Amino acid sequence: MSYSLELERGYRRLLACYPRAFRRENADEIIGVLLATAAEDQRRVAPAESADLIRGALRMRLRPAGQPPRAVRGAIRLMCVGAATSVALLITLVVTTGNVKSAILAQNPAFTAAQWHGVLVELAIKECWAPLAIVLWLCLAWANGRGRDRARLAFGAFFGVLTLMLLYCLSQGAAVYASADFSVAALQWVIAAAAVVLLFSRQSLAYYRPELAGR
Amino acid sequence: MQEATFLILTALADGNQHGYGIITEVAQISGGRVRLRAGTLYTALDRLRADKLIEVDREEIVEGRLRRYYRLTPSGTTVLSAEAARLHANATVALKRLRLAGGMAT
Repeated sequence: MSYSLELERGYRRLLACYPRAFRRENADEIIGVLLATAAEDQRRVAPAESADLIRGALRMRLRPAGQPPRAVRGAIRLMCVGAATSVALLITLVVTTGNVKSAILAQNPAFTAAQWHGVLVELAIKECWAPLAIVLWLCLAWANGRGRDRARLAFGAFFGVLTLMLLYCLSQGAAVYASADFSVAALQWVIAAAAVVLLFSRQSLAYYRPELAGR
Repeated sequence: MQEATFLILTALADGNQHGYGIITEVAQISGGRVRLRAGTLYTALDRLRADKLIEVDREEIVEGRLRRYYRLTPSGTTVLSAEAARLHANATVALKRLRLAGGMAT
């Protein structure tokens, strides 16, 4: 079996992402398996191993406590997809900034530097919002998986914010000037809308508010 | 049931196995097509234990590290049997239809 303290330290750092109770019970055993499956001369954690351990940690942390109804499980899955679309939106915003400028100039040749500065500020705000949105999607998925009614309401509010942002982008002509950004944002909104429908369905009500479900 | 879950339960069908043993068994059962990684395996094992489909058979210390052996519970055996029967029935129908289609083509 290949063995290296450096490699073990790398594995332990990644295992720190898992819930404490799971770590306490399984970390030593998992390290043993990881070292047994590592290459003979391996000294660092391979990217595929890192991705697998991080994915496992996310699954453990986002896994619902108990067994929520199908509608809530579906909503939680959609929230994870929503987080992925926020990542895609952030990448699209960064990559397509040049295209946005070209599209605006093609439509408005008299567009001034001051006006472009305003657009850049707006793009920067959206780029700051995207990481926050990723965290919100994941936190709300986690909290909803634990049957917290406030998390369901918070997701409703989050959907409201996404709706307002989409309408604002639409009013600013984003569908024309920044079609790629707008498409991803619209997809994100559709995912959030589907999650809201599932969270506020009758089946979900029995999970969040059992006292009201029988009425 | 996901394929990885099915293969893990299958690996435990004829006796208990430890984590590394399950990885090698799954690779063998799937003809090398599915290579489980530790993160995937232990997330699945934790869920299967929570669902009471598997349980810890025994623990031992090997080279200073904990080694845990897992086994199917009666409930796990029932679920695996049902899933295997379902897959078998689907495969039988698919093969039968393919044979019919082949017969019609020739």
